[in-house]
Amino acid sequence: MQILLVLVVILGGMGLSVEAGILGPLGSQVGELWATLSIFGVGAALTFLLMLFFSPRESPSFFSQPPLLLIGGILGPIYVVVLTVVTPVIGVAMTMIGILAGQVSKSLLIDHYGLFGTTERKIDNKRIIALFFIIAALFFMAKG
Amino acid sequence: MTLIFMVILAIIGGATLSVQAALNGRLGGNVGVFKSAFLTFSVGALITALLIFFFEPNHTVTLMDVPKWQLLGALCGVPYIVIMVVAVQRIGTAVATVAVIFGQLSMSILIDNFGWLGNEAISLSGTRISALMCLAIALYFIYSSSKSEAKAA
Repeated sequence: MQILLVLVVILGGMGLSVEAGILGPLGSQVGELWATLSIFGVGAALTFLLMLFFSPRESPSFFSQPPLLLIGGILGPIYVVVLTVVTPVIGVAMTMIGILAGQVSKSLLIDHYGLFGTTERKIDNKRIIALFFIIAALFFMAKG
Repeated sequence: MTLIFMVILAIIGGATLSVQAALNGRLGGNVGVFKSAFLTFSVGALITALLIFFFEPNHTVTLMDVPKWQLLGALCGVPYIVIMVVAVQRIGTAVATVAVIFGQLSMSILIDNFGWLGNEAISLSGTRISALMCLAIALYFIYSSSKSEAKAA
């Protein structure tokens, strides 16, 4: 059961790369923003259906949430546009490693200062070492 | 020069992604996962639509002209959200994180190597393999750091 779940998660990760792999060429054909719209359009339709059928019935309204929590949706397009612009130039693998470097360094900052209402957690050495190796990987990719 | 610029762009993309994850995690806790995912996608669609209205030049090829499989990108991204919600509760954040990154990397190396999905082929070289080794080590450290966190929490 556990192994099965790990496999499913690996498949999920593969899905993310396939998404990037599809977006790059699509963006060079129809334009980056249109490619991005295809992701968010289809995604919004799908998640609307999921929400309609599987969301808990009496969940609180978006309008009762602090506005800061809602800007996640504004940040999403930045990521997708970046995928579309970058993958045709540097390839899918290097894009993924760059994304990973950004994620790890930013999450270090978020945790360290407890930004966005997360619990404050001091930077630990292991994550800094991890970040160092990710940057080394980026360097190798750029050379190869 | 463009290479460095593009890598920096990718890093910025990753940084916004983790800010988004932090915000959506909290929002999801308040209103439910599907609702927060829907907000992300619908606001994203609205913003890109606005950007298209005002900034996008005309293209001879439109979304309606490309082969339909090229529109399936979202079908590969949305399952990820659902899978993570189900899996994180059962196998823990640390294992889930490493498994996702493993899946991302192996698949992206395959896509690059064979030039799948219409991407240019970039063959697997010695330096690419060294890059993978560095990442494996990085993953080990991410794993052990999340593991000790889970214990503390």
